[in-house]
Amino acid sequence: MMWGAYSHLVSLVFLLFSALGFILFSLVSMSLSSSYVIEWELFSLNSSSVVVTLIYDWVSFLFLGVVLFISSTVMYYSGDYMSGDKSYSRFMYLVFGFVLSMGALIISPNLISILLGWDGLGLISYVLVIYYQNEKSANAGMLTVLSNRIGDVGILLSISLFFMLGGWNFIFYESYLSGNFLLLKILVCVAAMTKSAQIPFSAWLPAAMAAPIPVSALVHSSTLVTAGVYILIRFSGALSGSCVQSVLLIVSCLTMFMAGLGANFEFDLKKIIALSTLSQLGVMVSILSLGFADLAFFHLLTHALFKALLFMCAGMVIHSVKECQDICNMGSLVTCMPLTSVCMNLANLALCGMPFLAGFYSKDLILEVAFMSEVNIFSFFLYVLSTGLTVCYTFRLIYYSMSSLSNMSSVMIVSENHSKMLKGMMTLSVGAVTSGCVLAWVVFPEFYMICLSVPLKILALLVSSLGALLGYIVNMVGSSTSLKTVKFYSYTMFVSSMWFMPILSTFSAPRWSLSSAESFFKIGDKGWSEYFGGEGGFGEVMKGSIYLQLSQDNMIMVYMKGFFIWIIVVFFIFI
Amino acid sequence: MLKFLVFNLVLMGFVSNWSLIQVGLSMMCFMGLLMMNHDFCSFCLGYMMSVDYLSYILIVLSVWIVMLMVFSSTVVKKMGNFCVGFLSVNLILLMVLVLTFSSVNYLMFYISFESSLVPMLVLILGWGYQPERIQAGIYMLFYTLFASLPLLVSLLSLYKSEGSLNMGLLLSGVIGYQGTSLLWYFCSVLAFMVKLPLFMFHLWLPKAHVEAPVAGSMVLAGVLLKLGGYGLIRILGVFSEVNKMFCWVWVSLGILGGVIVSLMCLRQVDMKSLIAYSSVAHMGLVLSGLVVMGGWGLNGAVVVMVGHGLCSSGLFCLANMVYERLGSRSLMISKGLLNVMPNMGLWWFLLVAGNMAAPPTLNLMGEISLIISVVSWSKLIMFSVGMLSFFSACYTLYMYSLSQHGLFLNALFSCCSGKVVEYFVLLMHSVPLNIMIVKGSLILCDL
Repeated sequence: MMWGAYSHLVSLVFLLFSALGFILFSLVSMSLSSSYVIEWELFSLNSSSVVVTLIYDWVSFLFLGVVLFISSTVMYYSGDYMSGDKSYSRFMYLVFGFVLSMGALIISPNLISILLGWDGLGLISYVLVIYYQNEKSANAGMLTVLSNRIGDVGILLSISLFFMLGGWNFIFYESYLSGNFLLLKILVCVAAMTKSAQIPFSAWLPAAMAAPIPVSALVHSSTLVTAGVYILIRFSGALSGSCVQSVLLIVSCLTMFMAGLGANFEFDLKKIIALSTLSQLGVMVSILSLGFADLAFFHLLTHALFKALLFMCAGMVIHSVKECQDICNMGSLVTCMPLTSVCMNLANLALCGMPFLAGFYSKDLILEVAFMSEVNIFSFFLYVLSTGLTVCYTFRLIYYSMSSLSNMSSVMIVSENHSKMLKGMMTLSVGAVTSGCVLAWVVFPEFYMICLSVPLKILALLVSSLGALLGYIVNMVGSSTSLKTVKFYSYTMFVSSMWFMPILSTFSAPRWSLSSAESFFKIGDKGWSEYFGGEGGFGEVMKGSIYLQLSQDNMIMVYMKGFFIWIIVVFFIFI
Repeated sequence: MLKFLVFNLVLMGFVSNWSLIQVGLSMMCFMGLLMMNHDFCSFCLGYMMSVDYLSYILIVLSVWIVMLMVFSSTVVKKMGNFCVGFLSVNLILLMVLVLTFSSVNYLMFYISFESSLVPMLVLILGWGYQPERIQAGIYMLFYTLFASLPLLVSLLSLYKSEGSLNMGLLLSGVIGYQGTSLLWYFCSVLAFMVKLPLFMFHLWLPKAHVEAPVAGSMVLAGVLLKLGGYGLIRILGVFSEVNKMFCWVWVSLGILGGVIVSLMCLRQVDMKSLIAYSSVAHMGLVLSGLVVMGGWGLNGAVVVMVGHGLCSSGLFCLANMVYERLGSRSLMISKGLLNVMPNMGLWWFLLVAGNMAAPPTLNLMGEISLIISVVSWSKLIMFSVGMLSFFSACYTLYMYSLSQHGLFLNALFSCCSGKVVEYFVLLMHSVPLNIMIVKGSLILCDL
């Protein structure tokens, strides 16, 4: 169909106007402090109603607006990126279906109706990750969907525990959940942890980079992985004061640290960005576990914008260097691709928390609030170290891809004459620059009172600049430098392979289940069940009938013996 | 009920005309769906038959599935493979099923329950593909009969002790805890456990499904397994006192058996065998919800029965479409189908999503209700139920990804990407599955 080829334009127009509309509604809703809740009853049984609830308050409008804005630019961008692909229209339909699922998740404050978005996200992201038909994508997709499925099961079980309250609208029952619903909170937190790839479910996020770049830009930067954070934001009233918070804090700080450390040793461009997403997710969940859900929401929004921009620039770069994703083979892109480098640097610096870009407002505020609250020294050090590591790998990336001498092959044509991709990136870079300040002044007008001592105040800045210097200079190695990473290879291996989580997620657990499945099948179903069922019964009946057959063989011996025994019996009975 | 039975009998007079039977069955579906939004506890009364919420839902399901059976067996028509006999067998099966679901007397129910085995056996033996179908037919017949003959004895002794076998009169825990209650209870429920099938008695199901033609698989997965569930719902009311003592046996076997069977699914190479084992897992959950004897469990069981009937039947249609083109059910051969049949990929995905209880399918609605009822019985079972849900996603996506994605068989040059009748059949399976949740009260039974 002709219009299938123009679906990027259609989605741009539709989604962009919807996004602007939603942001407008969010401002209206915020100023009027109003929210609309619509319910549709699916069925009602024994006085519990299963309803589909839709909530339209400023949080959902703003999140919807940002998600639709990002997806409109990403779909326009994929008009150029996926232009030569045979199943282009299938791709666009899938991405659109994904956006719809995310919308369904955002506006559902009901645990059962959130499953429409939650399960839809998991399944559609699976189909998008396995879009390229090779084995790496297949394995990555399976890991993604099964990690997400653990979260789905968590939500299903928490639905069964929520039954005790008589309804599933968690937005109304938040205040009733404090106290005895520990298992419920644990299950919801596990679900959020799988979706947002916290430890021990982090293996899927770097693996899911086998998906096409528009998918990574939309799914793995701003929508799928933020679903977990979003559900924790909605549940934050229930989580306050429970011991789940401390576990979440430790886990998320560890995730933050592990991802930041791992990104410093990674050479695949997309994996570096994936690990940086993972690190920022850890930041979001950690500040949420300290009780500041609105700061987590703020960072969620700004991070979505500049991370999507970063992915799109990375896609432009990868497209131009002929699909080689290894940053060792890039360099001096700032001379060949100036506009892309500008956008990429904007995104990178926003990520680092460069003052007055988008990330500064959210990340710096988060750090200062975290330093002010009662954290243990372990989390404090992890915060500080992760901030430094973030800047470290960012500047490492800048060095390798943009500012170093060219490591590309000698016959390379690098250009950026894909207008749609550029336009998409420029639109998002406006967001990456301005969204921080706009959100800070519009959404969070009452500032947090920050009272810190001078060393703590400048700690973030100090650690960032240290990390920048380290990241830039340490990676200026020539071919004859003896690398310490090779000397201490086992430690490097531990750190760079995400603390062995991919190996644990893909080799150990599936191996157990597959081998036990084989023994259940071969020894159970084809063995003992048959012995006590059909085949065994058949064998016994056959054995029995052989005895019966013996008596019908017409042997004189049998008749004579029978006669003889009968005579003896008669003899003993009657005499 | 005469409107269904007489219509069926008249249709049997026109079996020489395939398209007339197709149209006639569609009309019967329409007739059935007209009264779906009813509000009667018990209606269509007369001649030892009556219909209430539960029966009506299952009758509509039977007519729907039999209609889709005829539409998806176009290969029988094309090969001229005893078309008249095929249609007669299907219509006799439909009549027997309508009689089973609408009977008021337990003995009438038993006789129709057993009679449904005969057309099924004829279908497997007559239109199956492989020599192993003889063993499959024997297994199905003997497993079911071995368990249901004690049911006959128990029903007759029920008649002797109570004086009537009317379902309406006996549904009140009439058998207290007497001397022979244990034996009585086990004799009665074991027949339906084998039919469902429960984990230890499930060996007949993969065999029967694999060897049956597509029509046989569809009706077996779609309706005949639900006979077991329906019978359980009717008979557990009589034995409710004894059931309370033994529900732990059935819940454990159902859920843990479901987990074991889901694990076994991961190792299957035969598509139909995989779908058959997944039926066992789903029905295990249904059984657990039923024996817990709660309102949520009953309704969840009915919803999962309807949803699973539509979904498994649709998956068997898809497996048959692949078999007709590639000649093999093995996942090692029929893989990478997205390259040769791209439009079928959508239908594969929709039905596969239904199998793993993704929203907005009926399976999700039922599975949520069943999980609620089972967890309310014991929180410890959350672990096994979680594993059941998780592994259902595992094997379903294993089947989807292996059959659809990746490289296709080198020996496959091209194949038809999908005929209109095939799309029709798949549409008729997935649209009810996905849409009915919006008015979920249509499928609930208010017993």
